[in-house]
Amino acid sequence: MKKVVDVSLPVGPIHPCFKEPCRIKCETRGERVVTTEVELGYVKKGIEKIMIGRPWQETIFLAERVCGICSVVHNTVIVEALEKISGITVPRRAGLLRLILNELDRIQSHLLANYSYCYTIEHETLGMYLLNLRETAMDSLEMMTGTRVMAAYVVPGGVREDLSADNAAKILEATYHIEAELKRFVRMFETGPMIGLRSKGIGVLSMEDALASGVVGPTARAAGLSRDARKEDPLYLEMGWHMITRTESDNYARIMLRFDELYQSLTLIRNGIAALEPGKIRNGGEMKAGRIKHTIEAPRGDLTYDIEIDSAGQVVFVSIQTPSIPNIEVATHAMMKNLASAADVTSTFISADPCIACAER
Amino acid sequence: MSILQQLKNAVRQRSIHVCYVNTGSCNGCDIEILACLAPRYDIEQYGIYVHNNPREADVILVTGGMSPQWIDKLPDLWDRVPEPKAVVTIGNCPISGCVFNRPGKLIDPPVSKYIPVTAAVPGCPPRPSEIISAILGAADILFKDYEVHQKEKEGGGQS
Repeated sequence: MKKVVDVSLPVGPIHPCFKEPCRIKCETRGERVVTTEVELGYVKKGIEKIMIGRPWQETIFLAERVCGICSVVHNTVIVEALEKISGITVPRRAGLLRLILNELDRIQSHLLANYSYCYTIEHETLGMYLLNLRETAMDSLEMMTGTRVMAAYVVPGGVREDLSADNAAKILEATYHIEAELKRFVRMFETGPMIGLRSKGIGVLSMEDALASGVVGPTARAAGLSRDARKEDPLYLEMGWHMITRTESDNYARIMLRFDELYQSLTLIRNGIAALEPGKIRNGGEMKAGRIKHTIEAPRGDLTYDIEIDSAGQVVFVSIQTPSIPNIEVATHAMMKNLASAADVTSTFISADPCIACAER
Repeated sequence: MSILQQLKNAVRQRSIHVCYVNTGSCNGCDIEILACLAPRYDIEQYGIYVHNNPREADVILVTGGMSPQWIDKLPDLWDRVPEPKAVVTIGNCPISGCVFNRPGKLIDPPVSKYIPVTAAVPGCPPRPSEIISAILGAADILFKDYEVHQKEKEGGGQS
């Protein structure tokens, strides 16, 4: 058999650019990367299997620990699914507090994703600026929930703690600080000639591949697809949410789309705080048996929980569909196909914001 | 103490290379380690460099409760780290498995079954300041007069 590739180049599992372990196997011809394949399984914990047979109260804490970066959204989606099964309604103030918290979580997740990309293309200065800005968002999260990560803030029927007027004012101040700083960093990213050379026209995802692969989240929106679960949420539409898309579909577009979404999240938080009215933050209710499939928009895309609980309150069936699964697939099979240089493998992979802990659970 | 030993102590105190290994954590501890890099905590002012390369590391930070894939790979990775070396585990998972240690689990904690652990930082996840103080505390004890202690150990073994 004739050998068509020169070198099979493994990247990972422990690699300076990766936050999490995963191995990318690249088939190279000269400097050109012909095909890539991803090898997962390093952080498999079997969370769904642990959940089955447990009471629903325990699944909330387990769901939160599917992913540490977007723990808030996993908490929100499982609680909303349980509420839908039992027909529990949420007070308006609690709904708004959930929206504010989810957008704060999106801000810190997007800043971390863009930091990782800047670090991967060796622009550490901008990366460190973004990581420092993320600490401001983490402070707001801590002020609201009491802890930085794994807050368990969303509980069935509402939220755990109220937001005082003082803290709301501090969060508003933080949003203005983030916006002022972000404008400077986005200008650095947009106009930096070296960043443009390392990002523009690299890792292009064609429309056919995007449609065929079921890609979600910022990766899909950077390819021009209008995929966002928030468009069906009446509260988000009321707060002035609109779809942001780009058409270039390269690494540069994906990072710029996250920057654009950061501005929108800041506006949503401000509108949410302005709409807060005094009132209850938690409703009562009774858990019932049933099965439901619930989707909301995580920082990385559509997050779906398919959960069934019986009359004793035990989980009979649970299936988690995280956004990283299609995004990792499309990154390895479509975006990294025929890359001009092996140096672009890690940056293209990171630009899709893969979360291995989410994908393997 | 020889001048060479004093020089080694001085150099090692201000140059600790760190590699973090995720053996099945949820990312929560990993992003707190990343937060240590941020200018607010500024881990590099203490001379700690996060390289993520086991071949030039002094301290290995392990997060996560040993998923099946790592059971053969983590001791391998530990062998590749040059002496003197230490392991600091971050979070509850390497100690007990935290919430994942339930019937039907895949993970196999604790990590100390597989490699020798010097220090453990509990918490789900611990704060960045706790991680930094743990690394600095463990490094001081381990790397100071390392050669002298090694010689004492060998001498004790012979006599």
